Amino acid sequence: MSLFDKFSHLAAARAGLGAEGTPPVATPIEDIISAAEGVIDGKRVILAGTNNYLGLTLDPDVVDSAKKALEHFGTGTTGSRMANGSYNAHGALEQEISAAFGWPSAMVFSTGYQANLASIATLAGKDDYLLLDSDSHASIYDGAKLGNAQTVIFRHNDPGNLDRRLSRLGADASRALIVVEGLYSMLGDQPPLAEFIEVKKRHNAWLLLDEAHSFGVFGDKGLGLAEQAGVLDDIDFVVGTFSKSLGGIGGFCTSPHAQLELLRLAARPYIFTASPSPAVIASTRTALSKVIAGTDLRTRLWDNINRLYRALETYGYRLGSDKPGPVAAIILPDRESALAHWRGLLSNGIYTNLMVPPATPKGLNLLRISLSAAHTPEHIDRIIQAFGQLRKAA
Amino acid sequence: MTTHNDRVDQAIRNAVETALPQINGIDFDAALTSDVGLDSVQVMDLVMEIEDELDISVPVEVLAEVQTLNQLGERLRSMIKDNPR
Repeated sequence: MSLFDKFSHLAAARAGLGAEGTPPVATPIEDIISAAEGVIDGKRVILAGTNNYLGLTLDPDVVDSAKKALEHFGTGTTGSRMANGSYNAHGALEQEISAAFGWPSAMVFSTGYQANLASIATLAGKDDYLLLDSDSHASIYDGAKLGNAQTVIFRHNDPGNLDRRLSRLGADASRALIVVEGLYSMLGDQPPLAEFIEVKKRHNAWLLLDEAHSFGVFGDKGLGLAEQAGVLDDIDFVVGTFSKSLGGIGGFCTSPHAQLELLRLAARPYIFTASPSPAVIASTRTALSKVIAGTDLRTRLWDNINRLYRALETYGYRLGSDKPGPVAAIILPDRESALAHWRGLLSNGIYTNLMVPPATPKGLNLLRISLSAAHTPEHIDRIIQAFGQLRKAA
Repeated sequence: MTTHNDRVDQAIRNAVETALPQINGIDFDAALTSDVGLDSVQVMDLVMEIEDELDISVPVEVLAEVQTLNQLGERLRSMIKDNPR
């Protein structure tokens, strides 16, 4: 018996993806040429499998602000926000986030994962309830595990199913925190937000919306799906990440409830970790200003989204969402065809994400493409042409 | 009159039929993951079906404590006994 025996099924799953050629899991990216292009296996490729939705990772202003902060403040804070890790810039970023939403409070975390972990585990305590969508991201499930609330799962994107679970709680539903995402990253689908809000209000419950993949993409200011749907006033907490549209690393939670500030005294993933480095905070502040003013970036992104979705539908692919969005998930019949598509695209100079069970909902085998404002029309042409060739060959 | 025992077992059978149509005659003493080969998503789908059949909510914490359908049935019976409808 070994401590490692329990991982044998994972090793078998990895082996099932083939030992030859470029690994589809943790694919080594040898160089970055631009926000939309890199080098894999010595070959220049279009990066269509990142979360760089607005292409801000190499924006000259964003990079310059990080450089200046790095040179002035050094490489790290070396401490927790509760001790020596709260520089003026950390507070300034929190104010800029809360001001963007028009809310009184925002907290910044060292990763997006920790933002969910801290918010979910701390907001819902021992005598409270968590109601999680079954397709929730691992950080949401892990937040539930870290906390002490009773956790109940409802069917993905099913407000009626949530309604039944809240009804069973009766008056206790007023101590229930519902968690949904603005965009589900596996299938690229969106929640029926207005219906969820109606159910939440009827049961006097609370709603946390994770806008990790939708922040920067939806809404006039890019604040996410709730802004686009005009329902920000009905949301209790928005969690977001800096590692997608904002091009850095870190996360936030913001709320119309000023008492969110109390989480600074209680949230373990906030307290017991080093605060984000000054360079990351600086780049995120510059990126945030560009996201809020970034109508042109969003226009470019959405042009790319609409073109690719239309083409994939024309080719007859089954997609994870009928509503176009920055993630296009192609559902393939089995692991072999998904792997063949992934390798076929890579040999055509296009890097995408292969997603297979158990990481996927409903045991689906997916090829996940993520789009960026940094993709040129020619990049999109090449992606579409590559799918056309695969379709012909099939 | 239907006893809780019958009701729970029947709900589990119905749920298996709906959520796992590919599985014929599931063994109630088999470990759902290591013996039957279900992944965590399939177990969750199965439990959501059972919840709807019995009109109860099963906290996810319970899932970590049970391995077989018989163990799950025991937990469900005790939940129903504690909170009779």
